[in-house]
Amino acid sequence: MTTSGKKSKTTYTRPATSKIIQLVVGVIVSLWLFWRVYQVVIIQQAFTPETWVRLGMSGLIIGGMYALIAIGYTLVYGILFMINFAHGEVMMIGAFGGYFVLEALNAVYIPGSDQALVNAYPVVSIILAFILGMTVAAASGYFLEKLAYRPLRNAPRLVPLISAIGASIFLQNASQLLFGPRRRDYANPEVLSRGSGWVIQIGDSQVMFTYTGMLSIALSAALMIGLYLLVQRTKLGKAMRAVAQDKKTAALMGIDVNDVISKTFIISGALAGAAGVMWGIHNGVINYFTGFLPGIKAFTAAVLGGIGSIPGAMLGGFFLGIIESIGPAALGIDFQLKDVIAFSILVLVLIFRPSGILGEALSEEKL
Amino acid sequence: MAEFIKNRVNRGIVFAIVIIFLELIGFTVTVTIMIGKFADVRRATDPIFLMIFFAILGLWNGTCGKDLPQKTIRNFILGGFISGLVTGILVGITAFILGYLNIQGVDLRQYLVQLSSFTIELFLYNLTPPAGAFAHILIFTISGLLGGLLSYVSEKGHYFKFLKEKTTDFFQTVTNHPLIQQIWGKRYTRYILYTLGIAALILLPQQIGSYWNFILGTVGIYILLGLGLNLIVGLSGQLVLGYVAFFAIGAYTFALLSAPKPYDINMNFWLALGFGILAATLTGVLLGLPILNLRGDYLAIVTLAFGEIIRNLIRSDLLTPYTLGPRGVREIAEPTLFGRSFSSEVDYMYIIILTVFLLIFITDRIQNSRVGRAWLAIKDDQTVAQANGVNTFKYKLLALALGAAFAGLAGGVFAARNQFTGPEDHTLMVSINVLCLVIVGGMGSIPGIILGAFVLKGIPEMLRDFEIYRMLFFGVLLIIMMIVRPEGLWPAKRPVLEKRKSAPGGDMDEKAGKTIEGVQDAG
Repeated sequence: MTTSGKKSKTTYTRPATSKIIQLVVGVIVSLWLFWRVYQVVIIQQAFTPETWVRLGMSGLIIGGMYALIAIGYTLVYGILFMINFAHGEVMMIGAFGGYFVLEALNAVYIPGSDQALVNAYPVVSIILAFILGMTVAAASGYFLEKLAYRPLRNAPRLVPLISAIGASIFLQNASQLLFGPRRRDYANPEVLSRGSGWVIQIGDSQVMFTYTGMLSIALSAALMIGLYLLVQRTKLGKAMRAVAQDKKTAALMGIDVNDVISKTFIISGALAGAAGVMWGIHNGVINYFTGFLPGIKAFTAAVLGGIGSIPGAMLGGFFLGIIESIGPAALGIDFQLKDVIAFSILVLVLIFRPSGILGEALSEEKL
Repeated sequence: MAEFIKNRVNRGIVFAIVIIFLELIGFTVTVTIMIGKFADVRRATDPIFLMIFFAILGLWNGTCGKDLPQKTIRNFILGGFISGLVTGILVGITAFILGYLNIQGVDLRQYLVQLSSFTIELFLYNLTPPAGAFAHILIFTISGLLGGLLSYVSEKGHYFKFLKEKTTDFFQTVTNHPLIQQIWGKRYTRYILYTLGIAALILLPQQIGSYWNFILGTVGIYILLGLGLNLIVGLSGQLVLGYVAFFAIGAYTFALLSAPKPYDINMNFWLALGFGILAATLTGVLLGLPILNLRGDYLAIVTLAFGEIIRNLIRSDLLTPYTLGPRGVREIAEPTLFGRSFSSEVDYMYIIILTVFLLIFITDRIQNSRVGRAWLAIKDDQTVAQANGVNTFKYKLLALALGAAFAGLAGGVFAARNQFTGPEDHTLMVSINVLCLVIVGGMGSIPGIILGAFVLKGIPEMLRDFEIYRMLFFGVLLIIMMIVRPEGLWPAKRPVLEKRKSAPGGDMDEKAGKTIEGVQDAG
């Protein structure tokens, strides 16, 4: 949580030798990376500018989704100091919520015409899909907290983590049993069909900005601004920040801590649900396993940005999305290895800057 | 009173949701077949068996206890009745809707894959929708009522309490009996028991057949992994989520060195196993050097990322020439000793058993040594440990290296037994399963880990009928376990010396030891 709290000092020092080794290795690795990128991008001219724009765009789109999920991780971590391992599954539930709305609207035809509702009222159906997806995800976040985490509020740190892993396994398998293991196609309205978009001339080639991608970016930006305003300007946001800083004192100041925690889970669930619906609309297919990898990636993003910091999570999400999509091309390696790049970035950032890009040094008790 | 009714209604709603969920995932069919098989009289999918299942759930639904305002018979019956009625009505409505849609010819399977016509008809007890719904209301109300009555009877008559006391009394009399004490105290008794145990372990693999050997072999490999992770998480308190990385490196080093493809090194089994362990240990040290200063969740997430990096690298096109990519490595060397090949299922089982014993021995010796005490200190409070002169970094690194070595050994044995290793053998789920078995069994406790491996890997393998539901129940089990018994099934105990020395408050310490010991903060 973005609190302007005191920066407490870390009370232990690293062994000097390992610090030096780290520094040397770090310099070598970063020099090699720079050399490699220089080789591929400038010398070899491996890709045209248009490709770079396209890759950057897709990075931004996926980054927006990562950011929305990462905010959920960061909000919960800021308050409870636990990794909500089931958060990716909450996103998957949101995606299914949106799927069923669009599917239902796609199945119903306007009387007297052969146009499905989803095509006749595209804006309304998309809004409905988002609303239902967010509601379902928020509800699952709420019940998750109430059933799996609240009884463990004062337990040692490992206990809620295991409980969260259990919840994640449960939700994944429940969704597999309910909806089946096969992939499901999102029924987008025709105006939002995947692959259509604005075509913009860059140099002597064209770049397409897909409608679904633009919608995702715009919506994720709007949601993030909304969240920022909520946390900074409203009474609930103030309460959330207070609880993040010190639960006991917040309770003494008359804040209902349990209520605030519940609402935090609802908010983070809703954001993840929105990300899920975006994922479905933009990528087209979802299944029970959809939430797993984005969940881990988003946690990576939250840690990258500095866990506990909302702007950090947003920045980390976009950063990770862009690195993941540009990285393989810039390093001249297979796109298959984008996960490796994302996770390597995480490892490197944590080794050289454990508090993340924007994070404050966390005090001992929070670590 | 209003509060009481509200509680009972809530209970009814919760049960209704659970039952509807069970229906939607098709569990009702599975459980009917299970009970049918057990009863073995009529057709296995007779609706009567489903009724029995629901009646049992209904009895549970109706039980009341602490939530009653006054413990009169009227309240007990009323409580059971309200919950049962609420559950019955909700389940009945759902059954009616599903049945109606089914009759109208709507194919629900398109959305909810388990809801075939057959599932829905069974849910309605092969009746028409209104009749089926009514049957639900009837069954749940009556069984709820009976449940309330049952809890009244047991409350007033203290039957359960009485029974429990009697059994504990009986066991105490038996165990405290001088003769038993005398026999138990004799050294020879222990020896005889050990001999019997060893004889069982020698004879069993030959008798139980390949299916059980496979299952128990898997359990054994998970025990190896659990023992290794126990050193890191249970003893030194470092949370590592990417433990599978070491497993993968051990398995792959072993496989690549001993298989004919891709390198044609064809190294001897034992030598290759040694190299596998060495490679895993080295990885552990190299990974540990930069990251062990991170604490708690950061360490967890870095190791998680590391595990994913290793798996993705192994299966990537980039390394396919070296690791054979997603296809995996085959034709791995078989163990030979004195010119004889040990490659039957039984032999692998013996190898696994011996390895488990070896690792248990090592763990036990380390645990009670200076190193073990240093780990304990680090786990309890790193800063204090450091202030007391424990070189925390060194000992944490040692724990990680040793744990990695154990994983490397397990990986080698695993690859050899399967005669195959591929990237999908080393997913994140392996790490999570191992972590769960360590915690469910009881952190830092060797018998706990063995028990945990049996509970989490053995029992699900046995429940083949529930195959598609077992991960679901595994998830629920983890949550319930953490809420009800976070210290694990068989919690670790402090070294005995410590208890004896705390003379004046000894009793209290012992109690505290029992309750707190299991799970300590790994952060």
